[in-house]
Amino acid sequence: MKLNAGILTGATALTFLATAVCAETLTIATVNNGDMVRMQKLTNDFTSKNPGIDLEWVTLEENVLRQRVTTDIATKGGQYDVMTIGTYEVPIWAKQDWLIALNDMGKDYDADDIIPAIRDGLSVDGTLFAAPFYGESSMVMYRKDLMDDAGLEMPDAPSWEFIANAAREMTDKDAEVYGICLRGKAGWGENMALLTATANSFGARWFDMDWKPQFDTKPWKDTLDFYIDLMNDAGPPGAPSNGFNENLSLFQSGKCGMWIDATVAASFVTNPKDSKVADKVGFALAPDNGLGKRGNWLWAWSLAIPSGTEKAEAAKKFVAWATSKEYLALVAENEGWANVPPGTRTSLYENPEYAKVPFAKMTLESINSADPTKPTVDPVPYVGVQFVAIPEFQGLATAIGQQFSAALAGKVSSEQALATAQNLASREMKRGGYLK
Amino acid sequence: MARTISSRQTTVATIAAWFLAFLMFFPILWIVILSFKTEGDAIGTPFHVLTSGWTTEAYSAVQERSDYPKHFMNSVIISLGSTFLGLLIAVPAAWAMAFVPGKRTKDVLMWMLSTKMLPPVGVLVPIYLIFRDWGLLDTLTGLTMVLMLINLPIIVWMLYTYFKEIPGEILEAARMDGASLKSEILYVLTPMAVPGIASTALLNIILAWNEAFWTLNLTAAKAAPLTAFIASYSSPEGLFYAKLSAASVMAIAPILVMGWFSQKQLVRGLTFGAVK
Amino acid sequence: MATQHSKTAARWMISPAVIMLLAWMIIPLSLTLYFSFLRYNLLMPGTNPFVGFENYEYFFTDPGFQAALINTILLVVGVLIITVVGGIAFAILLDQPIKGQGIVRILVIAPFFVMPTVSALVWKNMFMNPVSGIFGHMAKSIGLAPFDFLSQAPLASIIGIVSWQWLPFATLILLTAMQSLDQEQLEAAEMDGASWWSRFWYIMLPHLSRAITVVILIQTIFLLSIFAEILVTTNGGPGTASTNLTYLIYAQSLLQYDVGLGSAGGVVAIILANIVAIFLMRMIGKNLDA
Repeated sequence: MKLNAGILTGATALTFLATAVCAETLTIATVNNGDMVRMQKLTNDFTSKNPGIDLEWVTLEENVLRQRVTTDIATKGGQYDVMTIGTYEVPIWAKQDWLIALNDMGKDYDADDIIPAIRDGLSVDGTLFAAPFYGESSMVMYRKDLMDDAGLEMPDAPSWEFIANAAREMTDKDAEVYGICLRGKAGWGENMALLTATANSFGARWFDMDWKPQFDTKPWKDTLDFYIDLMNDAGPPGAPSNGFNENLSLFQSGKCGMWIDATVAASFVTNPKDSKVADKVGFALAPDNGLGKRGNWLWAWSLAIPSGTEKAEAAKKFVAWATSKEYLALVAENEGWANVPPGTRTSLYENPEYAKVPFAKMTLESINSADPTKPTVDPVPYVGVQFVAIPEFQGLATAIGQQFSAALAGKVSSEQALATAQNLASREMKRGGYLK
Repeated sequence: MARTISSRQTTVATIAAWFLAFLMFFPILWIVILSFKTEGDAIGTPFHVLTSGWTTEAYSAVQERSDYPKHFMNSVIISLGSTFLGLLIAVPAAWAMAFVPGKRTKDVLMWMLSTKMLPPVGVLVPIYLIFRDWGLLDTLTGLTMVLMLINLPIIVWMLYTYFKEIPGEILEAARMDGASLKSEILYVLTPMAVPGIASTALLNIILAWNEAFWTLNLTAAKAAPLTAFIASYSSPEGLFYAKLSAASVMAIAPILVMGWFSQKQLVRGLTFGAVK
Repeated sequence: MATQHSKTAARWMISPAVIMLLAWMIIPLSLTLYFSFLRYNLLMPGTNPFVGFENYEYFFTDPGFQAALINTILLVVGVLIITVVGGIAFAILLDQPIKGQGIVRILVIAPFFVMPTVSALVWKNMFMNPVSGIFGHMAKSIGLAPFDFLSQAPLASIIGIVSWQWLPFATLILLTAMQSLDQEQLEAAEMDGASWWSRFWYIMLPHLSRAITVVILIQTIFLLSIFAEILVTTNGGPGTASTNLTYLIYAQSLLQYDVGLGSAGGVVAIILANIVAIFLMRMIGKNLDA
């Protein structure tokens, strides 16, 4: 590798020759989600356009992946050339100068086409540090047939009250139909994503402007009680261990009346190959409580290049390819428009072909209605809708998520869970020097 | 036969043993069955699973997505490599402890075993930093070294208990005949020690094959063994029972078959020294 | 009887193993010890100031610490009891002249070869999942509500999964020990009119004691650091219901990337492990020297 670098810097004329002779291999760490697996299958398109660059994939389950890439980048291990990370990591990592800025992606790239809400989430001081592979918010996915049976009609922008009522109406436990499936599995990216976003719509917040934790306030109590009551009445058994994937299976096999989760799931639940209910699914915005905030989040799985890599140029080529308009067209050509990675580019939503996809409009509206800089009813000192973009958050929120999961399982009361959450958060804030 | 065993007792014992054995084996049998189903059928009731059609599409899906041969080869290399290296170091040590015991021998042995009790997560960051500085991250060399080290205490201890059972008189006799240390080891001890060494090796291969902390945390693409292969199927989006089953079968089948073929050997050495 | 010559040779033969293990233990251990006195978070690189015992203070006052300690003990003891008792029962049963003993034995030992991650995944999804798992289907088919194992009885479920993996090991060792039992002794006792129970208590069990010790020793070593099974099935929850020490340290050092705190936890765990080790060694020493 060093030899190769020497040739490159020494004689520009030989560059072409050198790269052609010694193929560079990019190691790409990614999540085992459907869209990424699809990208892996389309590798040939990239390698044929970029001879001299080979791709090596490390596809891991989300939590394992996050742990691997974070350890690696923080210790400058240099094992990966491209990492798949989310909107939570990007601002934190960029501040540490761990990521390469992605301002110059080539003239065809058209960075201005990226949906503004998503681009802002991946930029620090106006500089883009990760390119979105797919973007998501959350919304209500519901079974039109069950809604009709219950004699109800889903509005485009439902309230929590309507959702709770509908869920109880749709539930038929003998027939294994549960009115609502929500995340219960502990984790900052699992139940805490849902609960934090929901709490926002109930007027709750994680911290006040002095970084004092707010779990002892009434809005949090209301949120948690509402959630637990609803899940006890209308949720599936085993809800405390259900995350995104578990709920997806449940919904696809026809066991959920409603499911409030990532917009990206829309393409899975409407895919007749995997879903028994593909033709019966409707979509609506995430619910609100009339306080001006909806319970939807904002997230983008994005490709970033660690600043330690020796193959920055090749890595940029890859990132540009995977997040380009052409890639979207490539997927559409191979797998149909419904399977295109959603939520990243404005031009996709202006495409009349894509507008025919049933969930396209609702996805875009959901993404546009989330505001990471003003996530809550009352002002807060942090950014992030379903997370707080500070390094302490993921450990803390996972510990608190455990408490809420235990409360859902009936192991502790909601008061106890919130008291422990308040205690955990105060400890962590004190340790981190936020609180004096 | 002094004791007459009633045929009724045999029948009862046979039925009970077969029943319990079936229960123990059932989870493995079940994933084999599920791996030949479509995703939709695999989540059905047991009755539905057994009566629905059979397909190998889950295996094709796994094949298409992952580089199984690479992971498989990595697993083979690190398990065999770490076992070989481990034996190279452990055999002399265990031999010396067994035949030339000093006052501290027991303590050394106990101390070795206690290193095995360290929680690996507690030392991950230091090890990661060392590996980074030595360029061992994501290399088979590094992984082989780590696996050798974490299993070394068990190897030494097993060999020690095994060697201790080799009667000292044989050695005395050989020495009287004027055998040198070298020939003593080569011609007298080795033949007696081979079964114990073989079974220690087998156990170590199994442990190394199944080790899932270091193999996952110290590798990325090049050196990733089957444990990393499984981690990419653990909970993907959508229905995944059939694919997970297929990947699981592919990951455990080689070691399972090896274990079955060598089980007599495995047991013999495992228990020779320790259990009379 | 050993000559000076062979003693020197012995020292040479032991030293590679000792030196390597020493290095393997001491280098990371001293780094861990050093880190445990620093404020060192991977996500907040900086000066990493020396903070004395602050990390230890936070580790000991962690709301999960006490639960983790108790869960660790419950997990080890629970699995040991199940595997030893079950192993003895299996050994006695398989020691009978049964038809197809070879195949039965193959079936029984199979779980031992399964990767912990795989077995945890399989149990969690294909068996314990209340909606699409086999236990859930079975409960529904006889009209019962499916039991949600991993949220209602998380630790017991994990003990079950781990026992399934280790029961074959215990059975293998105990069975071999059973087979070396002198049958004539048993028959003599039977003819003297000794009941099955007293034959078991006075002849079989004492004969098995050494094998039981081996099972306990080896399993404890592995059970103390159970991790993959918890990570895959419950993530230590709900609450801290299935968090053991290893998992707690994991949560702190790899979820929070708080290397200082995780290191303090590591040091504590090492001290505790050594206490257990000393206990075990005493027990083993007594039983194995005999």
